[in-house]
Amino acid sequence: MLNKKLMAVAVAGLFSTGAMAAGENNIGCGWGSKVFDGQRGIAPQVLGATTNGTSGNQTFAITSGTSGCTQDGVVKSNWKTAMFIDGNKEKLARDMSTGSGESLESLAKLIGVEDQHKAAFFQTTKDNFAHIFSTDNSSTDQVLASLKQVLASDSELAQYSQSI
Amino acid sequence: MPGRWILQFIFLWSPLAGFAADNAYLEELIQRARQANLSQRAEWLNLLHYKPYPYWPGSRSLADDPEFFNAPHGKTDAAGELEATLAVFFSTAEETDKTQNPQCRFIARYRWLKQELQFDPARLPKQPCRRFYQWRASLDPHEITLVFPAAYLNNPASMYGHTLLRIDARDQDEHTRLLAYSISYAAGTDETSGLIFAVRGLFGGYPGVFAITPYYLKVREYSDIENRDVWEYQLTLTPEEIDRLLMHVWELGPTHFDYYFFDENCAYHLLSLLEVARPGLQLTDQFRWWAIPSDTVRAVTDQPGLLKRVVYRPASVSIMRQRLMQMPVDQSRLAKDLAQQRIDANDDRLRELPALDHARVLELGYEYASYEAATGRNKAPDAVTRMRELLLARSQLKIPPQKPGVPVPSVRPDEGHKTSRIGIGAGSRDGRRFGEIHLRPTYHDLLDQDAGYTRGAQIQFFDMRWRHYRGEDGLRLEEFKPLDIVSLSPRNDFFNPISWKINVGWTRKHFPGGDEPLVFRFNGGSGLAYSAPGLFGGNAVYYGFIEAALDAGSRFESNYTLGAGPAIGLLANVSERWGFNLQARSLRYGLGDDHWSRELALEQRYALTRQSAVRLRLSRKQEFQDYWNSGDLSVHFYF
Repeated sequence: MLNKKLMAVAVAGLFSTGAMAAGENNIGCGWGSKVFDGQRGIAPQVLGATTNGTSGNQTFAITSGTSGCTQDGVVKSNWKTAMFIDGNKEKLARDMSTGSGESLESLAKLIGVEDQHKAAFFQTTKDNFAHIFSTDNSSTDQVLASLKQVLASDSELAQYSQSI
Repeated sequence: MPGRWILQFIFLWSPLAGFAADNAYLEELIQRARQANLSQRAEWLNLLHYKPYPYWPGSRSLADDPEFFNAPHGKTDAAGELEATLAVFFSTAEETDKTQNPQCRFIARYRWLKQELQFDPARLPKQPCRRFYQWRASLDPHEITLVFPAAYLNNPASMYGHTLLRIDARDQDEHTRLLAYSISYAAGTDETSGLIFAVRGLFGGYPGVFAITPYYLKVREYSDIENRDVWEYQLTLTPEEIDRLLMHVWELGPTHFDYYFFDENCAYHLLSLLEVARPGLQLTDQFRWWAIPSDTVRAVTDQPGLLKRVVYRPASVSIMRQRLMQMPVDQSRLAKDLAQQRIDANDDRLRELPALDHARVLELGYEYASYEAATGRNKAPDAVTRMRELLLARSQLKIPPQKPGVPVPSVRPDEGHKTSRIGIGAGSRDGRRFGEIHLRPTYHDLLDQDAGYTRGAQIQFFDMRWRHYRGEDGLRLEEFKPLDIVSLSPRNDFFNPISWKINVGWTRKHFPGGDEPLVFRFNGGSGLAYSAPGLFGGNAVYYGFIEAALDAGSRFESNYTLGAGPAIGLLANVSERWGFNLQARSLRYGLGDDHWSRELALEQRYALTRQSAVRLRLSRKQEFQDYWNSGDLSVHFYF
């Protein structure tokens, strides 16, 4: 299941380049981290100062039909978790290290963790921080895979590993 | 677009057998629409984005995209557009991944006309519009929030702000808002040169489009990368109003508008969405000339019953500042050493700390490292390794999170002074009495009240002063500055920004012999600012600049003169109402006409109310060989 999804990420990535070349204002999955590579340094700060500019790849056009991992601008449901992790990796790492935070709450919500399991979810991700973020630059698929593993090996949380 | 019109004509009238019968019904609908004068109703004009011309009578749609209209002159002919729209509703075209039936493409218009004209479903069958309903279902809209990222450190231009709408889903709460979607209007461009962006933006050089983005990406952009506090204004729109808004957003879809930085900007167009949502709201009328995002937020919060509650989301830097205020200096130094890789996460000095403090230092160390990486200051190749080490060390401490609560500022951005200002005053210069009028269309200067604004940041557009000297005829223009920006950003152990200023315009220059022609001046500089914790309860900043000025005018021997020199000053709030700026400047003009220009000035402001203040200005000035003293007292109103 997971491998299939990662395969699809790669394929969507290829497609997105094609779509861009065709002049479409829509990018496939895997765009999140790339977008912000270009966001550092002085130039984007100046651009940011003018407040209203955006490069097309940070946003999705509404009613542009189906492409990549979105449909008419909203993320398709089977992509939501991967996209969220992709767009929030640093904050998730920070939240997991303390066992709390908005990004972690949102992740729990996305994979459907019920209220009575939330404390365990937070504690488990904190305890397994080293495993979930196993390298300095963990990729989205690494994080997804190891998070799935961590949940699967916890009797209380195993049920949620299915929804990743 | 004659080609398109012909195609539409063929498509509508020739091939479909069913049309002959429906033709009569279309005629009937058109007659009823005319009788009810639907095309002049505010709801219809709002859906078409019709606005009056600022300079002459009449109105036109702001949409600059022919696809948005069904009639060839839909941009200027609201009645023709209504009738053409009714006609296309009879299309039986099926929806595909890329195209839609006109009933779905223009779903807000369809909904409104259907309600007004009571379409007979037998004679004008309703299309399913699966894509729209799927889209709405995945948004699961429950509430609408107006989001305002406020100004950020050392970037006065950001005071101009930005706004977006957030669609809050039914099952979200304050902890999971990141999962919402936001709708924003922005200039579509990949331009990275701020200057080119600004210039083209001023003159409508970019297409503006609405777009939808996961809110977490917006939060990352504003709170984490640009370090702007974000204000979230939850609105009281009803389900029916939200439905109207979403249908209209759908209908706008990829429609483009020419983007204008000052008036037709993000904030302006979002207001028009709210006007569609709740008919009767008059928001855009107030912004015929320019729309400053914070003013548009004020327009929304001023509407009775539209605001539900406000949530403050502090930026990463605001959280770090709060930590620094609560932490002993030796610990904050450790955090900085950690972030800058002078000590490692297993250092004895860390382990000797009480566990709670240990956790706090690790958390701050990580945040600072992350801040330095995000702002491009940390270029060490192993910075990422260090950041992960800090998180790993933190995850091994059995301590709950130590994130400090940042107090909500007591005055919100929409509650500060209004941004236009008029002043009248009188004074004396070397014994000559004068009266003065001052007009500043927008926005904020160093001495205006700080409440709701960023301290030490000034941005003014088209600032003008006229003066009348006793015994002389008429008013004369004393000064006109199209652009005037100052950024005073105090430095400390953790943050070390460069302060800067830039202004351009026309001013009076005092030549030998006493006459004072207007000269053009371009002045800029950079410097350092520090807060003075011991002065006025910590509400004081002292600063030093190195400045340069280019003056140009026919009175100069070679039509220009170029000068440079230092400036120092102290900007302080004595109390909430009373503030002053004491400044000394000395410029040596070496190229062109060789001369000195020196100034010692004390300017004070006493706020009478949030929207009015008195100012007293005293100065001693030198230009060429002449010295003079002047003083004036003026009263300012904000509107």
